[in-house]
Amino acid sequence: MDNTKTETTTESDITRITITLPTNAYFMSGIRDFTLSLIKNMTDFSEQWAYRFQSVVDELCNNAIEHGSAKKNEEIKIIFLTKERKYVEIMVEDSGTGPKKMTALELSKLVDQRKNQDYTEIGIRGRGLAKIVAEWTDELKFEDIENGGIRVRIKKFLNDPELEKDASQLQGQQVVTGRGPIGPTEKIVLET
Amino acid sequence: MAQATISFEEVPSNVPGSLVKIVKIIGQLDESNVDEKAKEIYAVLEANPKNLSLIFDVTGLEYMNSKSVGYLTDWYQKVTETGGSLVVVGAKPNIYDILQVVGLTQLINFYQTLDEAKFAVMKK
Repeated sequence: MDNTKTETTTESDITRITITLPTNAYFMSGIRDFTLSLIKNMTDFSEQWAYRFQSVVDELCNNAIEHGSAKKNEEIKIIFLTKERKYVEIMVEDSGTGPKKMTALELSKLVDQRKNQDYTEIGIRGRGLAKIVAEWTDELKFEDIENGGIRVRIKKFLNDPELEKDASQLQGQQVVTGRGPIGPTEKIVLET
Repeated sequence: MAQATISFEEVPSNVPGSLVKIVKIIGQLDESNVDEKAKEIYAVLEANPKNLSLIFDVTGLEYMNSKSVGYLTDWYQKVTETGGSLVVVGAKPNIYDILQVVGLTQLINFYQTLDEAKFAVMKK
């Protein structure tokens, strides 16, 4: 990828990788391969989740390219943040030059609307963010950014985030959590 | 750019007036190629407007994006509305996972082998 820029920084247990690339769908197979490799080799997520992240990143970037940075010579930015044994956070930013520019709030509402639509009502397009990204992430946020574009931010915790919250609020108790990559979550609270 | 090849093979049908085709997809379908590749399948649908059944052999499909899922849904609707059927065979775990999360596994039947898929299509 000659037209891409990559930057890696590490602070304590957080690794940040930023990739900037031209808005061209031709680069996406390389980005998917990179995502798969990153998740498999640098996180404790399972192989199934590595493939899921592959889809998530692809859908986020497609959305940014098509709606956010559609003009020639524009760029999108992909930021991967991995906190060891905790979570993966991915942000995709566009430049706000798409033909049907939306605000973060408008895009958020559209995604919420499509989450509940029947598969027959959606049409050829419209599943990416609402069905794939929303289902396979714990947090999905849309933010307006300074350049006029949108930043879409997703986060996926290695363990159940609700239990992480419970654990921080419990005092004098030990919380043991168990969660497989796709299985149910179990919570056992041991009184100490 | 993602690479994908689509090939078609006709399966002898025991039902007069009906046509069964295997649609074999190898490679990856993403934003860079899915629109072009989809045209090949729409051409088959246009050439056979009634009683066409499609067996999608995705044994060699490594990735599909949400738009290709949209196309698959559209083909399913078009084929079933005109007297045919559409089934999928050989989906890799990541492909099945994608189709499951968007709800298509509740709509379309999936099979492990081509023989199972052919049998299912022929008996309808």
